[in-house]
Amino acid sequence: MSAVQARPLAGDKLIVVPYRKVSAAAMATNLVLILLGCFFLLPMLWMVFASIDSNPDWAIRIPSPTLANFADVLGRADALSSFRSSLILAGTTTVLTTLLALLSAYPLSRMHIPFKRPFMLVILFASGLPVSMLVVPVYQMYVYLGWLDSLYTTALFLAASSLPFAIWLMKNFIDAVPVELEHAAAIDGASTFRILREVVLPLTVPGTAVTAIYTFINAWGAFIIPFVLTYSPDNQPGPVEIYNFMGSHGLFKFGDLAVFSLLFSVPVIVLYLFMSRYFSGAFNFGGAVK
Amino acid sequence: MLSEVRFDGVHKIFGAETAVEDLNLTVNAGEFLVLVGPSGCGKTTTLRMLAGLERPSYGRILIGDKLVNNVSPRFRDVAMVFQSYALYPHMNVYDNLAFGMRARGASKDLVAQRVKETADVLGLGKLLKRRPSELSGGQRQRVALGRALIRQPQVFLMDEPLSNLDAGLRVQMRAELSRLHQRFRVTTVYVTHDQVEAMTMGDRIAVMNNGRLQQVDAPETLYDNPANVFVAGFIGSPRMNFVPGRLASSDGRTSVAFLGITTPLGTGSRLTAGASDGEVTVGIRPEDLMWRPAAGPDCTLTLSADVDVVEPMGHEAYVTALCAGETVTSRFPPRSGVRPQERVDLALNPARLHLFDAQSGITILQRPPAAGAETLRSVGEARTNDSAGGRSERHGQPEARRVPSRTEEIS
Repeated sequence: MSAVQARPLAGDKLIVVPYRKVSAAAMATNLVLILLGCFFLLPMLWMVFASIDSNPDWAIRIPSPTLANFADVLGRADALSSFRSSLILAGTTTVLTTLLALLSAYPLSRMHIPFKRPFMLVILFASGLPVSMLVVPVYQMYVYLGWLDSLYTTALFLAASSLPFAIWLMKNFIDAVPVELEHAAAIDGASTFRILREVVLPLTVPGTAVTAIYTFINAWGAFIIPFVLTYSPDNQPGPVEIYNFMGSHGLFKFGDLAVFSLLFSVPVIVLYLFMSRYFSGAFNFGGAVK
Repeated sequence: MLSEVRFDGVHKIFGAETAVEDLNLTVNAGEFLVLVGPSGCGKTTTLRMLAGLERPSYGRILIGDKLVNNVSPRFRDVAMVFQSYALYPHMNVYDNLAFGMRARGASKDLVAQRVKETADVLGLGKLLKRRPSELSGGQRQRVALGRALIRQPQVFLMDEPLSNLDAGLRVQMRAELSRLHQRFRVTTVYVTHDQVEAMTMGDRIAVMNNGRLQQVDAPETLYDNPANVFVAGFIGSPRMNFVPGRLASSDGRTSVAFLGITTPLGTGSRLTAGASDGEVTVGIRPEDLMWRPAAGPDCTLTLSADVDVVEPMGHEAYVTALCAGETVTSRFPPRSGVRPQERVDLALNPARLHLFDAQSGITILQRPPAAGAETLRSVGEARTNDSAGGRSERHGQPEARRVPSRTEEIS
């Protein structure tokens, strides 16, 4: 497999692509992957078809196209307010989590802290705890504090539960910034604040973005915490609203459900595409250290 | 602005490990001092202490007259070139160069002017808009150098700056560094594990091992009169031969027996320490151990040896041979026709012997000052160049590209 083919790409860059060899193993791999992909894609296919079907039900079928479902959902006040709630909830959570993760990850990455390793392991352990385990005591606490049914206090708990993983993620991103750059800047005469602002922060932007997007996507889809901690219809975020669609009047409005789900997943899909770009291309410290 | 640097009883202890032990060293103002030693010998720690990235456990570090133990790197007015270059990847070359001056609050005009000057000196003029990732290794090296140069600091610190370059570029940059130092004469501390870099670039060389300073001297002195077995073995390539020997004295004259022969010590040489009887380590540089037919009249000793390996280098050949049970390396002329398993006669000038105490490894032979130079001349064609030149040649570098070393200029 030494044959390579040079393909000219935008501008003067050449990308060297090795020829692919189709082997039995590769075909088997692809077959399994396609099969697995179907498992995930079929529900989504149903969602797309049902959303434009005039008479949808459980089955996946070629729809008789209509936009009535969209008109129906967009006309519902509760649907729109749930978007607003989700935005507030996920936005607040993301800002809080990212900021705190950045501030705690930097010293964890750079400074000598006694018992750092056990501490990091505790954080890792905490990030693996299921939140449903904590819901009852947290509910009691929120009742006691009078924090129930507020999107901002709910975001506080969401932030707390997403923080451990975000710290781990951030720490690894900061670890990847060569500490020698900071030494070089210090010897160059820069103050600590200048080093953070002009050297460390610009280089952690991709990592911070990934942490933020990851946190946002999780908070956007969070169900059990807002379900328990909020109750007024105005404060129901999207996932709780979907649940309401399903069970509210004992009958399913499949078309509305599909449309709402579809609309609700759009931000996630967009952010995910954005993040995958960051994941593939942005971690380039080329030229910093050999 | 020339400043001297002084280490005064400096220790650096990491937990149970002593990285640097009782370092006393003065780097003269304007001097290019090379700190050399094997990895883990404490040379980089020493440099980092001078930069302010590590704090000495004990002792004092002075830059000029200023005690800098507790001064942060920011205020030390030193510039450092890192082994990895540590260029800011998100800034272009211009901003990389300007960063230090901006951090010190220089005006925009001054920054622009100095960036231009520095870029001209280093030939970076056309690259100012590029990011480090778009530069070649040699260009990155230049930017790293420029970032240090532009600040006009009191002291330059260089941590193995050439080790990431390929061989050809390394020779070229070596010359460039020497040229820059001759032009700006900034006090420089240069860390390397490469003895060729040390010999060719240093005004003086400080050899370290196991956290201890072994010897500080001019390259030729270090080469001709190593203070101990470590320095003798570290400086010079191929490595000096070490064989066991024994001192004996009769009629008031001391002689040394080794490799089955006995020779009186050269006239004027005298033992500095120890009894005149006892175990010693005899050191013989491969270039002092020659093929009999090619040796000069000073090589009065003859040893018989069995050739084991012949390594032709083109302009000469190294022959590893077994002599009285010891493996020794000797320098042969090219195309000598000698083959493995053959028995050959080796010639040796007794004045070129090195003697070390067998236990402590410290040199016990003091040669008359002129002895080294005399031998140099008498060996004639074998050593036409100064020692540094001869050595760099041996490493396969074309003569024209070599740095004119200071010795050549003096002589």
